[in-house]
This record gives sequence, C-alpha cells and structure tokens, in this order.
Amino acid sequence: MSSSEFSIRVEGLSKRYEIYGQPVDRLKQMTLPRIQRTVRRSVRTYFKEFWALRDVSFDVRRGETVGIVGRNGSGKSTLLQMICGTLHPTSGQISVSGRIAALLELGAGFNPEFTGRENVYLSGLLYGISEGELQKRYQAIVDFADIGEFIDQPVKTYSSGMYVRLAFAIIAHIDADTLVIDEALSVGDVRFTQKCMRFLRSFQARGTLLFVSHDAGAVINLCQRAIWLDGGGIVTDGPARDVVEQYLAEQHAADRSSLGERVAVRAAAQSQSSSEGRSVLAEKTSAQPEFEAPCLGSASSGIRNSIEVFEFNPDAVSREFGAGAAHIDRVSLQSASGNSLASIMGGELVDLTIEATAVARIESPIFGFYVKDRLGQQLFGDNSYLIYRDKKNAFDKGSKLRARFRFRMPILAIGSYTVDAAVATGTQDDHTQQHWIRDALVFKATESSMRHGLVGVPMQEIEIERLDAVHEIHG
Amino acid sequence: MSTTAYRLVDPLSPYRALFRHFTLVVQMARRDVIGRYRGSFAGLFWSFFNPLLMLVIYTFVFGVIFKSRWNAQVTGHFQYAIVLFAGLNINTLFAECANRSTTLIIENTNFVKRVVFPLETLAWSTIGSALFHLLVSTLVLLLMSFLVNWRIPWTFLLFPVVVCCFLPFVAGMAWLLASLGVFLRDLKQVVGIVTTALLFFAPILYPKEMVPAQYRLLMDLNPLTVIAEASQDVLVWGQQPQWAELAVYAAVSCLFAWLAFAWFERTRKGFADVV
Repeated sequence: MSSSEFSIRVEGLSKRYEIYGQPVDRLKQMTLPRIQRTVRRSVRTYFKEFWALRDVSFDVRRGETVGIVGRNGSGKSTLLQMICGTLHPTSGQISVSGRIAALLELGAGFNPEFTGRENVYLSGLLYGISEGELQKRYQAIVDFADIGEFIDQPVKTYSSGMYVRLAFAIIAHIDADTLVIDEALSVGDVRFTQKCMRFLRSFQARGTLLFVSHDAGAVINLCQRAIWLDGGGIVTDGPARDVVEQYLAEQHAADRSSLGERVAVRAAAQSQSSSEGRSVLAEKTSAQPEFEAPCLGSASSGIRNSIEVFEFNPDAVSREFGAGAAHIDRVSLQSASGNSLASIMGGELVDLTIEATAVARIESPIFGFYVKDRLGQQLFGDNSYLIYRDKKNAFDKGSKLRARFRFRMPILAIGSYTVDAAVATGTQDDHTQQHWIRDALVFKATESSMRHGLVGVPMQEIEIERLDAVHEIHG
Repeated sequence: MSTTAYRLVDPLSPYRALFRHFTLVVQMARRDVIGRYRGSFAGLFWSFFNPLLMLVIYTFVFGVIFKSRWNAQVTGHFQYAIVLFAGLNINTLFAECANRSTTLIIENTNFVKRVVFPLETLAWSTIGSALFHLLVSTLVLLLMSFLVNWRIPWTFLLFPVVVCCFLPFVAGMAWLLASLGVFLRDLKQVVGIVTTALLFFAPILYPKEMVPAQYRLLMDLNPLTVIAEASQDVLVWGQQPQWAELAVYAAVSCLFAWLAFAWFERTRKGFADVV
C-alpha cells in the first residue's frame, strides 16, 4: 500500500505527561539525570507521570471522515494535538501527509494582543501561505467570519463566538488537505454552525476530516467512521453509528452506576450485525404487499407516502442494554384502524405498542421510543412519563405490561427508519434504563412526496386566495 | 509549515532560522513596533520623539547641571550628550532584548501549545523590533550631531557593520534567556538588574580611561564594551573601529549564538510541560 493512500497513520502512539511541581524541576529533569549517570549516582526523576494515551494505532484514509468520541479526559485532545504536531509523543509514530489545519478548543493559536487582521496574516504564514496569496484571500476570510468591525480590534476583546468564527474562517481558506475540528463549533450561533457544517460537507468531497464532538447526532451525521477513546486507549473503531450508540449506552450505564445501579450493556459481540442485515432477515417472514391508502389531508392530491414495516424479531436484536428489571418482549407498529398490516401510510394514525415483562418488582415504569432515520438521527419520540407522572403504580415480578402510543405518522422521505424502544424507571431527568432495544423495529418509506426537511407534517389544507379587489375576467 | 529540525552541528543554524521564516519574523517585528504605540495619539511618532526627548534631557542634566565632560578635549554640553547617546543606544538594544526574552515564551503560551510555531524566530523578531528603535535613535543622534557640528562623520556608514558583529551575541542571549526564563521564573528580576549593571560598567557614561587600572579587566569582560566603543568611534569620533578587536568579538559572538541556539532547540520540548 502506498503511503499516499493514507492521510494520517498513527502507530503505537503513547503520551506520558510529566507533571512538575515547579518549572525548575523540568530543567533539572533535562540536565541532572545525565550528570547523575556519569557520576554513577542513583538517577532521580523530578516529575509525577500521567499517561494520557497508551499504544493507540489507527489509519485514516485520504478523504475519509472520522469522528472521535469519548468522555472528558479520555485522551481525545492529546491525540489531536499530537496529530497536529503541537505535542511530542512519548513513544510511537505519527505520519501526516499534506497540509493539516486544526481548530482545537478555543483560541487556536491566536495572539490575543494582535488584531483579527494581524492574526489572519500570522496564522496564514504559519500554515505556509505566502503574503501575496493571503492578501488575495483576506476578503474571503473576513466575509466568512462575518464579525464586522471587530476584525481590526485586538482578539482579546472578542467573544468566544467571534473567536471561533475567525478561527474557522482561516482554516477554511488555507487549502488544507486534512482538517481537525475539536468541539469548537458548539460555541458559534446556529447560523454560523450551519455555515460551518455546509463548509465541512463540501470539504468532505476533497479532504480528510477528523471531527471531535460531544454531539452524538453531529458525529453520526457527518462521519462514516468513529473511534471511541476511553482511558487513553481505543475501545471501538468502526461505523460511526454503531460506535456512537455503543458509546452512549455505555455512558448511560456509567451514569447510573455512579448512582448505585447496574446497567448491563450487551452487544459488543454482535456489533458487526448491521440493521440492513436484520431487515432482510425480517423481510422474508413478514414482508407484505404494500397497502396503499391516500394520505390524510392530501387525499385528493393523490400523493402517497407508503411505509413498509418489518416485524419485531427478538432474536435479531443487535444491541440492547439495561438494568434488567423489565424486559421488552415485543414492539409493533400498526395502523390505528386495527389492521395488523405490515404497511402503513405517512399521515395515518398509527399505534406503536411495546410489551414488556417485569423481571423484578418495578415502580412507575416509563415506556418510551425514538424514531430514527438512516443516519441514526432521532426524528421524534415520546414517553409515558408525563401522562403517568402523578399515578404511582407498582408491578409485581412477572406482570405483563403493554404501552400503546397512538400518533399520526409524519410523512417520511424515502429511506429506511428504525425505532428504539425502552422501558425505564425513575423520572424524565433521572432514570435508569431497565431495557433499551436499539433498532427494535425497522420500516421503510418506499414512496414519498417529501422533498425538504427531516419529516413532513400532513397538511390539513392548502389553498391560494387572491386578496386584492377581484376583477373577474370572463374569457 | 515546515517543522524540520535544524542540524544543530551546523554553526549557521541560528541564521537559517532567520531566513527560513523571514516573512514571519518581519511581520512579528513590524506588529511589535506598531503595536507598542497603538491607540496613542501621535502613534509611531513616539518612536522618534522618545529618543529625541531623552537626548534633550541628557544634554540638560549631564551637560548643563553636572557640567560633565567626556575628557579634556571634548567639553561642550552637547558633545557629552552625543557621546553618551551613541553608547546608550547599544545598551538600550541589549537591555530591551534581554529583558523581553525572559518572558518571551511564557507570554506566548498559545504559540507553544496551540499551533506549530517556529518559537526560535521569536528571538529574531524581538531583535527586529529593537533594531527599528536603534535605527530611529541613530538618526536622531546624527541629526543632533549635524546641528551641533555642522558635519556628520563619514564613518557612520560603518555603523551597520558594528551592529552586525553585535547581533549574534544579542540573539544568543535572547535564546538562552527565553529558554531559561520558562523554567526559572526569577530570571526576569535578575536580568533587569544585570542589564542596568552592564550600563554602568561599560564605557558609556564615562571613557574607559577614567577607570582605575585594576578594574579595567572588569570593563573588558563586559560584552557591551567593545560595541559601545566601536559605536562611539564610527558615529562620534569619525574614526574606524578597532578592527582586530571587533573581529574577535564577532567570532565569539557567533560561537555563543550557535551554542545558545542549540540549547534552545534542545530544551524547547520541555516548554509545553510547564507553560
């Protein structure tokens, strides 16, 4: 394999931070052990060590977009800093081909005393862009940052939003081959974040992108692949959606265990079974001829949105987790008219039912679901908490429960969708997942009138009226 | 940006650092000069007024009040001020660079931790900004000299040569202090005192001949002595500098710069751990 096939190669990378009580100890560490060795005295170390990263290896192909997830302190920033060359690895190799530009945390390399304009030139020079070229691009950078007259003020007077605007504008204009974006985008306002996302999407077509974010949705949305770091090592490296969901499940378990509850995470063994594979399996047993009926609200237009539902198959559940006091036995989606058909229509009233068994005695269970699109983005969902908030109810071990959600199915764009179903106990803000099944149901929208947005809402009426004085012209 | 390490065995490595990043050095120095007077009404004119006002004060205090004379031959009020100024500018250049170097790295944490920055060029840009002030001060000196004597010695053309012999030493000092300043935070205070001491132990306020013979050696060890005298030679007395002395100085100066640069490059890995 030629080295140019990879943008970033990381092999056996480790970083040990040396923590010094006083700056002068660092100087001693650089000089004294050498002297101690020559005079055959015992060699002292003058620091406490902290391993931020241990033996991490991965490759990133040219043009790939890789997300990096992990808790605070898991080594993400250390890894990125070493890739960008601002930190020296303690051991291991990094090779980066082409020009790499980074937006690391807040304040990427700006000199706070310099004005925005001076920082643009300074950063540009550091990235190896000539002064003449910078003059040509300056206006484009300023337009992108869109911070008005602040461009001629010292950067120390900037708000964090302005800071990141300018930093992003610069790295967007220096012809980087690889971009490293670290959480920084969360500081910008919605309009700017969208502008950055648009830029990143167009950048994906020509360059390599490393993206770190706590926003699971953004990672799933933008990245094909994700790496989960924890405690300085790689936990999983695989398709973004799988890795992120596994990470979130683990996070939930960790949250609860800090409160003294155990939540088991099952799945790693089956992490390769993709949702596509399962839906094919289910299709054989339950695919039905499409049931077509006009959309409510647009009945007369004849536009249809037919949705094919694949039956819940407990044996094919790829990933589930939970404390285990309740177990979901069945999840189904059918039209509210009671037809137990495998196909429903966008705009139609539907029933989503979740049946569960109490494995132990449970109090005030909350049933909930999420409908997600192909990328794993949560489109909508709800739970039973608010409705049952004031009714304390407990169920003995062995009780069978059924929760039913009746709602009008939105109009969905063509594609496949999945439903996560869950039973939890506690409250909206503080709950323990007893059983969560990822992708419990799969359904496909095979025809659609939807063109824009994530989901469509069935229109009750659409009409055009003329408001000014009406001169009726009779031909 | 190229981050290729320098070959430290190469005695020219300190100057490669300058030429490899020349645009950056010039940018940083220019920013520094302009930034100093930013927001003030007269702006850049201060870099001209400043030395001019200082020269007026020296003339009045040392010439009119103390009635100082450089030596038996040079007696005028203005004459003393001009000689003083020629030497003082050298000390100012050195003191400015040395004092700023001790905090050069600590004050630019972003350049250490956030970006891949050629830190070694910070010394050069500090010198660049100090050189600009030296240039302005020297112009003021020559102007004054012209107004007083109605002539300017042609030897002032040799002044850049004298300065060039001095610069490697200043750069070396900058690298050494910048590196040590990261680890020894008391250094800033010490350097402040030392630069003042060097002013008083150099033939700047008085000629070398006034120093008792047993203390001459002390003065000869002062790294400013040779350059201060050479400056007075070319800018005031209109004579050529002591070339042999200057050549030795230049050689030692370059050797020092080389060693200090190597030290800086070797220790820079430790900066990120403690800033």
